[in-house]
Amino acid sequence: MNELGHYITPLLEGTGVTLEIFLLTFVLVLPLGLIAALGRLSRFRIVRMVLEVYIWLMRGTPLMLQLLFVYFALPLAGIKLPDIAAALLAFTLNYTAYFAEIFRAGIQSINKGQYEAAHMLGMTYPQTMWHIIIPQMVRRVLPPMSNETINLVKDTSLIYILAMNDLLRAARTIVQREFDMTPFVVAACFYLGMTFVLTWVFKRLEDHFGRYEL
Amino acid sequence: MAKKDYMVRMRNIRKSYGENTVLKNIDLDVKKGEVLAIIGPSGSGKSTLLRCLNHLESIDSGTIEVVGETFATDDGYGSASYVSPKEERKFLGYMGMVFQQFNLFPHMTVMENLIKAPMLVQKKSREEILPLAQSLLEKVGLSDKADSYPGRLSGGQQQRVAIARALCMQPEIMLFDEPTSALDPELTGEVLRTMRQLAEEHMTMLVVTHEMNFAREVANKVMFMADGFVVEQGTPEEVFGNPQQERTRSFLHNML
Ligand SMILES: Nc1ncnc2c1ncn2[C@@H]1O[C@H](COP(=O)(O)OP(=O)(O)O)[C@@H](O)[C@H]1O
Ligand SMILES: [Mg+2]
Repeated sequence: MNELGHYITPLLEGTGVTLEIFLLTFVLVLPLGLIAALGRLSRFRIVRMVLEVYIWLMRGTPLMLQLLFVYFALPLAGIKLPDIAAALLAFTLNYTAYFAEIFRAGIQSINKGQYEAAHMLGMTYPQTMWHIIIPQMVRRVLPPMSNETINLVKDTSLIYILAMNDLLRAARTIVQREFDMTPFVVAACFYLGMTFVLTWVFKRLEDHFGRYEL
Repeated sequence: MAKKDYMVRMRNIRKSYGENTVLKNIDLDVKKGEVLAIIGPSGSGKSTLLRCLNHLESIDSGTIEVVGETFATDDGYGSASYVSPKEERKFLGYMGMVFQQFNLFPHMTVMENLIKAPMLVQKKSREEILPLAQSLLEKVGLSDKADSYPGRLSGGQQQRVAIARALCMQPEIMLFDEPTSALDPELTGEVLRTMRQLAEEHMTMLVVTHEMNFAREVANKVMFMADGFVVEQGTPEEVFGNPQQERTRSFLHNML
């Protein structure tokens, strides 16, 4: 039990790195995903096509490959990003594509009568989207968003290949050094803790945004 | 009669969906304070006519004047265009619309449904618009529902909120597209009563309806449409009492 004490500090530090990557990515992905979703529904063909290709690439190739690409290929092109920025870039690009598809489906699920009522009341397109469509969309996308957000927490562990000391890498380092599996168990508990909190937060959000439903 | 006494004038309106010509040279005049009932079998183009008037759809050719101003016009070669989106707001402000499916905003309370557009579009403050909104809710008999969400109301109540929401923008003309068709029969009365009251206050109204009693008793003018044509129009006495066209007679026969 004594050992748990000196495991805990590196594992907590690793959790800090994991949370940092997760939170920053999440905060970036929300607006970017929404913008990409609106772009996918744009009346300009070229905008739609560019976004379709982007989403196809991001969803059609492994996140690990994208991560390695950003990490190794960009420096070859003369762009050297700090590790954390490279990881953020890769995660944000990837998850923006997934969130865009969730938001797009949510926007398309709103009855067209809502647009017609807004039109008749003289609302502009931005007013209609912001006050009428998006608030209703939010309620509908919360369950799939919750899933993707939990995936993101777990996917942050991929950065261990970039030699960043996230939770998983911190655990593995101790396991290899001490031939003791406990740090993996502790890491699993930490991941579970994070996903548990997220599940709870999303449940609360669903209740909040669904308060107008019966 | 001066031009501006006409609240709505549509001339030579044509509209097609692909090969299907839905409106075939429709003319329509509605004067201030008039109630026009538009009747006819389903698929005859009644909804499309209203939706072209408020630019939810676009006409292919013809002209539309609203409150004496040109809203859509012909270029003389058979293709028509509406005013710019910026100007359009003014015209939409002249018209309120009530839909068959109510189309209330489900995520807002009844009161928010009423005051949202006046605040956003007319830039009124909440305090400015609240008295009107409250009096309209009272008028449709739903003062006690101000803080309810639409999902908790009956269909009849929802439709009355929809009428109040449209009125809260203080339109000159009210358009109704089968406002009672989605309602259980026992709920149509309360909505028709509200519409009747509006007519008594001399609101200019265009009402697409299957409620023949309403058309007969409340409308000043009845227009019977079939297959994209105006088959017959006149006073309710003329159209219901002494229809000139066989189509009108058989339609009315089937409705009774
Ligand atoms: N958005 C649309 N696309 C194609 N056809 C349409 C559309 N809306 C209506 N129509 C067609 O136009 C005709 C008239 O429809 P509508 O105006 O809804 O009739 P009504 O309201 O009298 O029942 C119908 O044949 C209908 O199928
Ligand atoms: Mg119709």
